[in-house]
Formats: sequence, structure tokens, C-alpha cells
Amino acid sequence: MNVLDVLDQPDVISPGISACIGCNVELTLRTVMKVLGKNSVLAIPPGCMGGVGVVGWDKKSGAEIPVFFPLLTNTASMLTGLRLAYKRQGRGDIHVVAFAGDGASVDAGFQALSGAAERNDRIIYICYDNEGYMNTGYQRSGSTPKGAWTSTTPYGKLQIKKDMPRIMADHRIPYVSTCSPAYMRDLVEKVEKAKRNEAGFSYLHILNPCVSGWGFPPEESIEIARLSVKTRYFPLYEVVNGKYRITVDVPHSLPVSDYVSRLKKFSRISEPALAEMQELIDQQWQELKALEKVGVKPCSSA
Amino acid sequence: MSHVEVMTGNRAASTAACLARPEVIAAYPITPQSSVVEDISKAIAVGKLDALISEVESEHSAMSVLEGATLGGVRTFSATSSQGLAFMYEPYFRASTLRLPIVMAIANREMISPQTLWASAQDSLSVRDAGWIQYYVENNQEILDTILQAFRVAEDKRVLLPINICYDGFYLSHMSERVDVPDQSEVDAFLPQCYKPEHIYLDPDRPMAVDPLTNGDLLMEYRQKHLEAQQRALTVIEEVSENFCNLFGRHWDGCVEAYKINYNTKGAIITLGSMTGAAREAIDRLQSEGLSIGLIKIRVVRPFPKTELRELLSGIKAVGVVDRNVCFGWNTGIIYQEVLAAISSSPSIIHQPFIAGLGGEDITIEMFETAARQVVALAQKKDGPRDQETIWLRSVSEEVDE
Repeated sequence: MNVLDVLDQPDVISPGISACIGCNVELTLRTVMKVLGKNSVLAIPPGCMGGVGVVGWDKKSGAEIPVFFPLLTNTASMLTGLRLAYKRQGRGDIHVVAFAGDGASVDAGFQALSGAAERNDRIIYICYDNEGYMNTGYQRSGSTPKGAWTSTTPYGKLQIKKDMPRIMADHRIPYVSTCSPAYMRDLVEKVEKAKRNEAGFSYLHILNPCVSGWGFPPEESIEIARLSVKTRYFPLYEVVNGKYRITVDVPHSLPVSDYVSRLKKFSRISEPALAEMQELIDQQWQELKALEKVGVKPCSSA
Repeated sequence: MSHVEVMTGNRAASTAACLARPEVIAAYPITPQSSVVEDISKAIAVGKLDALISEVESEHSAMSVLEGATLGGVRTFSATSSQGLAFMYEPYFRASTLRLPIVMAIANREMISPQTLWASAQDSLSVRDAGWIQYYVENNQEILDTILQAFRVAEDKRVLLPINICYDGFYLSHMSERVDVPDQSEVDAFLPQCYKPEHIYLDPDRPMAVDPLTNGDLLMEYRQKHLEAQQRALTVIEEVSENFCNLFGRHWDGCVEAYKINYNTKGAIITLGSMTGAAREAIDRLQSEGLSIGLIKIRVVRPFPKTELRELLSGIKAVGVVDRNVCFGWNTGIIYQEVLAAISSSPSIIHQPFIAGLGGEDITIEMFETAARQVVALAQKKDGPRDQETIWLRSVSEEVDE
């Protein structure tokens, strides 16, 4: 499906969702669900999208498709159960989808997620990563980068960001990719691949810069996302059956300071810390280039 | 035709689960429940049970998988113990508040610390207020029969709640007894062959938002209906127990069983679970001595059968409750407190708490004789305090070095 065709598909998320001005997560969710369509069940664990009302409010639903709140900790395993029920009923065509924040994926929900990936259950798990608990007042998560201000790291986080997509790829599941709301064609193509993946687990990790928690003007929402890719801070790649491929090449990257300087959350970052971040980014890019050549051995299909 | 087998309590549980035709199973092995998971895995692997199993990485995920599967519209089963139940608590509570009729066996095991593996109902009684129905059974036949009954009760439209069948770890889970195993056709005549949800489900053909953010007023309505369903379950449990008896010839007395109690009986001992066997022996011995003492076995703790218990205790002067668990903060056992709440409107009954058998310690016939004699003595008192200090029934009374 062409990106423009996707925009013509029915929007299954209710209008009037109360996300922050300039929130690119809402845009991402609406787009993702346009690709996946109505024959889907959507799990929205506690987080921004649950908070803004995608599951609903009181007796009103937030979506035209079946949608529910898993716990923060069990999104993947509840989806495993749904998948098994549909398999029993001969309804393998239903897309079983998680749209979960980094807290529900990288931290508290990690055990359930890792278990489902290890079992290679056929689930489409999408992590929208805004690098912290942005819904509850910007607290630190395992996905917050080193040096970033959060309400629980007032002088900057001391540890580096957990590299979730690489960890998921090391589960040797059939499909892993990273996506950005600034690269819609790339994102749509990747969601389509997950939709077509009948061999097992699909994991998509999307970096969604947060207007409110990171500190930048709402109108720069997409520009910041694009900068995260152009500085190689967040490379866009996919791992299909163990084969790594960078999908948006960045032959001449911008220095990471071009990205960091736009974000209030990095306003206290020191020069040495910034240099260290650049070093890590360069290292990770080299690793990705090497993985493109070597890959990982995929697991057998479910 | 049914047939007789000698089997452990865990085998009775897995046999019953297979006969109930669950479609999705998820369980994580933990001592002393593990062989339930092993048996079911094997039954599926060899094609004896037509179901799907998820080999989950934890109890937390076991319950979560069952919740997803039940929302998808299939019958589900699991089993756990002790620390596993504690780890499961978050989705456990939610299974009842989502009104999902999941059935889960619990091989009761003491909670740590100190490190322990052996029997006590501390695990499941500690979560008695999480909205599930809880049965506590006495022997392996009762495990099998009650699991079959539980699916009927859980899926009854008047109830729609998850159910635990609790049985003492090792005493029942690992001990072998004669068990009458019904045929599949007999079970099919008793239990509908599949679960079809009409109240809560996730189905693209019938879109529903499950658990949108809900205000307190509506939440209170949900809770009120949940409490009412628990009360209706008292009737449904009795009905299903009767119906089961009509078909299979075994009667487990619904929520409460009275043993050798009549309008003249002055004292009563109250028990839960496998200890009841030893208590029956003790009551037989003391009655043959001419002592006026009987036995009440509580089979269902949630919902608590207060009316039935009150009626049974209406002519009783003194009651003793033997708990294989503790109620922190009250210096008694948990069932003692439950009984106390039920008889609060009967001002004349003297009540005596006993604690025994923690961490799998044996509760002997002699201990029950001691307890029963104490109750008989209290029943003869004309005045004095109604509530008594807890008596600890221990075989070894050496003090632990501080």
C-alpha cells in the first residue's frame, strides 16, 4: 500500500482524543491502525495513549475496533492468550496488536514481552518510545538516554538507554524494525511487513519525541523526529528473519549536538557527556553496519 | 462407565481439568503443583486433550494468557501454589473484576520466610478478598469432583466469576488415593462443552472497549454487582452440588458439611481441607466416650456461607476453629475470624481459636482430641469470656533460640 493510499483508509481511532498539542504518537497510532485495519484487536497498556482516551472513557469507546487496557506488566502475555483463543476458533486472520509505551515494554512489561518473543507467539508489538513515563509527569525509564533530565533524574540520567530493538532482535524472532513518524513511507512499509508476518512475533520500535516531556515547540514535533534519524541517534533499520538492513541510510550524519541542543531535557548536559553520546552513536552505527553483513540466525517459524 | 484409579491429588486435578475440555491452558511449574502442568502438557502432546497450551515464563503471564484467552471466548484452566500465586496477584485480582470464569487449582503451600515448601492455606487465604470463589477440599476424589463443578458454577450466568479449588500441598497433591474417574460422556452430560461469553469479549465482529477509564460511581456499580454475584454463587454452588450428586452419586454438601452434629450437640470443631480426615477420627473417638462434640467442614470460603453456618451453630455452646494459617494482627487464624464474623449475632457461643500444622506440620488425631476436649470443657462453662486466647497445637514445644 502506498503511503497516500494509507491516508485514505478509515481511521479507526475516535476523533477528539485529548493528546498534547503536537503529539506525534497520536499521529503514529492512527497511521499504524489505518494499515492494520478493522480486523484487529488493540491492546493499549497504561501510558500516554491510554491516558488520552484511546481505550475510552466511561461508557464510550476510544476506537471502532475491540480495544482494551492490559496491565502495565502483561500486554504481551494477554495478547498470547488472545492469539491462542483465535487460533482455536480458526480465526488466525485477526491481527493481535499492542501499542505500548517504553515503560510498559522496556521496564515493567519486559518479562512478559521477552517470554512471548521467546515463544515466537504471533503478535504485532509496537513500542512507542518517548524515553520515559511521559504520561505521569516525565519520570525516568530504562529507555531514557544518559544525560537527559526527567522528573526523577533532575541532574540528568546516569545510565545509557537500553537498546530494546537489538535486544528483541536477539530473540531471533521473524521481524524487528525501528520506525519514525518523520519517515512515514518507511513506517507504513514496516507495519505492512508485520501485518504479513505469519511466522511469528513482530516487534516495531518507534522513537516518538515528546513535546511536553522533552521540551521543544509543538510545531517542531516531526522535525525533531527527523533529526534523531539524521544524526544517527535513532537509526532506521529492520531485521527480517535475522537479516539486518538499514532502511534509511544516513551517509553524512549531522553531529548529535544538532539534535541535543534542540531539547530542553538536555540543557544541563556537559561537554564530555555529549562527546560520550556521539561516541556511542558512532559505535552503534558501526555495529549496525557490521550486523548488516553478518546478521543473526533466525529461529524456526512458530 | 466410570472407572477407579489410584492417583495423587495433582493427578486428580489434571484428570478433572482434561475432562472439562478447556481450550487454552497456561501454567508455570511450582512445587507442589508441578505435576499438574506436566500431566496436562503430556495429555496435549499425546493428543489425549484437544487444547492449546502456552509454556509461559511466569505465573504472572500464566494468568495473563488465560485472561486474554477467556476474553477471546474460550474455556481456560491453570494451577499454581504459594509464591506463584503471590507473583500472580496483579492479574489474579483482575480476573475477578473482569468477571472472567477462569478455573485454577491451588496446591496450598506455606508462604516464605523461612524458606518452606509444605502445606498451609496461607497462600490462597491471603487473597480471599480478591473477588474469586474459593473451594477448599478434603481428599483427591473431592479435588476431581469439585474442579468439574467449578466450571459449571464459574460459567453460570448468575455468577460469572473465577474459581480456585484449593487442596493441601503434599498431603493431597502427592498422596495417592482411590479416585472414581467419570467417563467423558458423563462429564459432557454435566458440563456444557464450550464457553460462549456474552458479557465481556474481544472480537472484531463485535467491537467492545474493555476497561475504559471509569469513574467512581460506575465502578461502585460494578463492585456492587460483583458482590451480589458472590452471594448468588452460594445458591448456584448448592444447586450444582445437588445436580452433580444426582448424576455421579457423590455428595459434597455444597458450601458446608456437618459431621455428627444434631440439635443436642454442645460443642463443634471447624476445619478446612485435608485436616478434616483426622478431625473425623477424633470426633468418632470422643463421641464413643459420650462427649457432646461434632464437626463442621467449611468447603467454600468465598463466598462465606454465613447463614448455613449460623444455622448449624444455633444450638451449639462452644466452637473451636482449627486454622492451618495465621491472621496477622489478630493473633488467630483466618477462618476463626471469618467464623466470628458469621456468628456475631449469636451472643451466647464461646469461641476458641487454634493454630496448627503450619509449614506442613502434621495435625494429628491426638491434636484434634486435645482441641475437642477444650471445646467440650468451654461448652460446660456457665459464664466467663466468650473469646479465648489462641491455643497453638504443636508436637514439639521446644523454644527456638533467639
